[in-house]
Amino acid sequence: MTLYLLKRLAVLVASTAVAAVVVFAFMGLLPGDPAEIALGVNATPEAVAELRRQFGTDRAPVVQFLDWFGGLLHGDFGTSYVTSSPIGPQISDRLAVTTVLVVGGMIVALLVAVPLGTFAAVHHRNPLGALISAASQIGIAVPAFLAGILLVFVFAVQAQALPSGGYVPIAENPAEWLRGLLLPWLSLGLVQGAVLTRYVRSAVLDVMREDYLRTARAKGRGSTGALWRHGLRNASIPVVTVLGLQLATLLIGAVVVERVFVIPGLGDLLLNGVAGRDLLLVQGVVMVLVAAVLLINFVVDVAYHLLDPRLR
Amino acid sequence: MLSVDGLTVRADSAELVHQVSFAIAPGERVGLIGESGSGKSLTALSLMGLLPEGVTASGTARLGERDLVGVPESRIKDLRGRELSMVFQEPMTALNPLMRIGAQVAEVMTLHGRSSPEARARALDLLGRVRLPDPEQIFRAYPHQLSGGQRQRVMLAIALANEPRLLICDEPTTALDVTVQKQMLELIAEVAPALLFITHDLAVVASVCERVLVMYGGRVVESGPIREVFTRPRHRYTEGLLAASKLTPRGTRLPTIQGNVPPAGHFPDGCVFRNRCPQATTACEQVPALTGDGHAHACWHPAD
Amino acid sequence: MKGRVNVALLVGAVLVALVGLAAVVSFFWTPHDPTLVDAARKLREPGGGYLLGADKFGRDTFSQLMVGARTTLYVGIVAVGIAAVLGVPLGMVAGMTPRGWLSELIMRVNDLVFAFPALLLAVMLGAVYGAGTLTAMIAIGVATVPAFARVTRAATLQVMVTDYILAARAAGRRRPAIAVRHVLPNISSMLIVQASVSFAIAILAEAALSFLGFGTRPPTPSWGRMLQESQELLFSTPRLALWPGLAIALAVLGFNLLGDGLRDYLDPRLRRIREQAEPPANGATR
Repeated sequence: MTLYLLKRLAVLVASTAVAAVVVFAFMGLLPGDPAEIALGVNATPEAVAELRRQFGTDRAPVVQFLDWFGGLLHGDFGTSYVTSSPIGPQISDRLAVTTVLVVGGMIVALLVAVPLGTFAAVHHRNPLGALISAASQIGIAVPAFLAGILLVFVFAVQAQALPSGGYVPIAENPAEWLRGLLLPWLSLGLVQGAVLTRYVRSAVLDVMREDYLRTARAKGRGSTGALWRHGLRNASIPVVTVLGLQLATLLIGAVVVERVFVIPGLGDLLLNGVAGRDLLLVQGVVMVLVAAVLLINFVVDVAYHLLDPRLR
Repeated sequence: MLSVDGLTVRADSAELVHQVSFAIAPGERVGLIGESGSGKSLTALSLMGLLPEGVTASGTARLGERDLVGVPESRIKDLRGRELSMVFQEPMTALNPLMRIGAQVAEVMTLHGRSSPEARARALDLLGRVRLPDPEQIFRAYPHQLSGGQRQRVMLAIALANEPRLLICDEPTTALDVTVQKQMLELIAEVAPALLFITHDLAVVASVCERVLVMYGGRVVESGPIREVFTRPRHRYTEGLLAASKLTPRGTRLPTIQGNVPPAGHFPDGCVFRNRCPQATTACEQVPALTGDGHAHACWHPAD
Repeated sequence: MKGRVNVALLVGAVLVALVGLAAVVSFFWTPHDPTLVDAARKLREPGGGYLLGADKFGRDTFSQLMVGARTTLYVGIVAVGIAAVLGVPLGMVAGMTPRGWLSELIMRVNDLVFAFPALLLAVMLGAVYGAGTLTAMIAIGVATVPAFARVTRAATLQVMVTDYILAARAAGRRRPAIAVRHVLPNISSMLIVQASVSFAIAILAEAALSFLGFGTRPPTPSWGRMLQESQELLFSTPRLALWPGLAIALAVLGFNLLGDGLRDYLDPRLRRIREQAEPPANGATR
């Protein structure tokens, strides 16, 4: 197990570093000279050279990369060429908001998928179970931002019960913070929940056919008790893998949902960066999101190994 | 102690077990033999209340004063693992892969009211009793660390934990290596209180049981003491089965029963064996009753 | 299970055919010019030749939906095409030489690309080159390569241990010949299913990108941008969000169901396994 952990950790570090090279090469080198872009076409060569020195873009690409990547390791994302403000603090503020959004969405997804998927599996022979399967198929076809628009229509436009968008920091007003996040959480969570329901259903269905569940019943457990005590943990192993993929999907889904609900998260920052042609900012946010996806995959792989004694 | 009367198992429209009746006295070891598809496993599962979805049993089966068939699961589940236990055919998949062996053995005792420390101590004891080497180590192991024979011993320990009145074994040695089979059979014969032993292997039945029920096509076609049934079979199916299993001199052809076992629900009317029976006549279009005290058979043209 | 209609395949095929029909017909005929801006028809209610009404610029919603179907299919076909053309050969190489360094390299690069979802790629491409249909298609396509490569590799691994491949190898056939003559035909049904499922994901991604302004540029109609434009009018004219939303959901549902249905239909082995897993009435008899 320790050996596996070390190996997997090495893969994580290596792939993060390679991803950083890719992001840097693509965003930092390709687009051209930020100094020229900042000063426009009429700038004198001297002014451009001076600004290059300030930006540090006159150095060799390898030096620039190492400088940027070294900075990342202690949270320094550099200073924006456009707004001249440091990028790191902006990213960390926004990351906190996006994390809350994603974690809340995941919780909603689990709250939907685990009971419904289990129910659909246990009752796979009757109409209600089939109905859940059909409903989840429809849920999968709805993108998160469309779910968001639908939820806004129902809860903000029709019922006028919840705000249609906006974000209130928790320190300012916890109740409003919660009210503002409910619809975004539901938008992300219901859709992912629909996807997850299918996986939970098939995992539970597989487990229900296992001999050890019959053994548990032969010991004197009822079928429900046997499923709880012996089935769900076994069923969770394949589900955890899917959950990891879903977290990555949720992270990207959050970018779009933030736009629907005007929430100042990483997605909002990313899109503003693109709109303002603040490429160093975009580069930083992309790197954070990619690193997050890699980290999630790492955690999932480790969790998988912890759950299953056969792999230890 | 166990009395089964008119047990019938059906799935949708197909009748898989028809009007099976037998009894097992305390301490008695009864074998249930037949080819695959004869309904022997379903008979056992219906006693445990573990029939698969969509399969139902009717008739009566009583263990002492308690009804086993036709009652909701909530009323019989306290019997399972306490008064009545079962060891299944496939030891490789019968244990929960994520749970340590000790916990799985202790579970059957805590479920029926023992305290957790007591159950754990007794679990360790039981692992020794089923002759597992180094019980402490096995106690802490996960199923995948054990061999098939060891896992089947664990299953036996679970089955015996609450000192049940009846142990049901469904082909418990079929999946094991031949060398392990014998030890396992001796162990079962030694520890079983009363036993219902299901197998297709006549030699195994002969070594473990005192009495035997022969099933074919979902019916009991012959029953009686092992010695009598095996030396003087009356039903033509039993006769064929015995002939096919005899050791024959080199060079002679092994006698077989002609034809194959039909799929469930496709047995002929009347005597279920008549389409494969060399002695069948028009009389066999009527269902023969199981007749005779002690050694009973259901055949119009019994061997003598 | 005889005579059971494959409902998923049927419904999926009908939905996909509807989207395809709308797209094809839109080349020759739409009720109105979908890009024609006309202040006089601003937010026109449905009826009178305007089946689903008009948007805030007076553009006919139904015509926009029809041409939007074309955009959706166009992006989907190119993106899935890119993914298949890159992913299938890579997956086959990885599957046919499972222990080689090349296979290892392919799968590692695959894992890395997997960390760049379509949306991030599209934003990166858009930030550098300017966003448009082309960048969206490339981003979605590249992001889908890992899925294709993985499925292809898994299927190839299975095929490689079958007797006829072993026979072909024993007969001294060269690897490329085996790949084209034996492996590809045997994994094709798996690939068709994967293409259908990937198409659904591509539609979702295209809609999200257009919604964010990283997809198809105006004035070319696209379902995602129709949704984005309708959002501010959700309080007054919700129908503008309803139709493109419904179009996206039905198209995705169609391709997902088609994939599920094809899986059952094309892979009888899988179907047989499934039937065994659903214990039939007499399955308990040993």
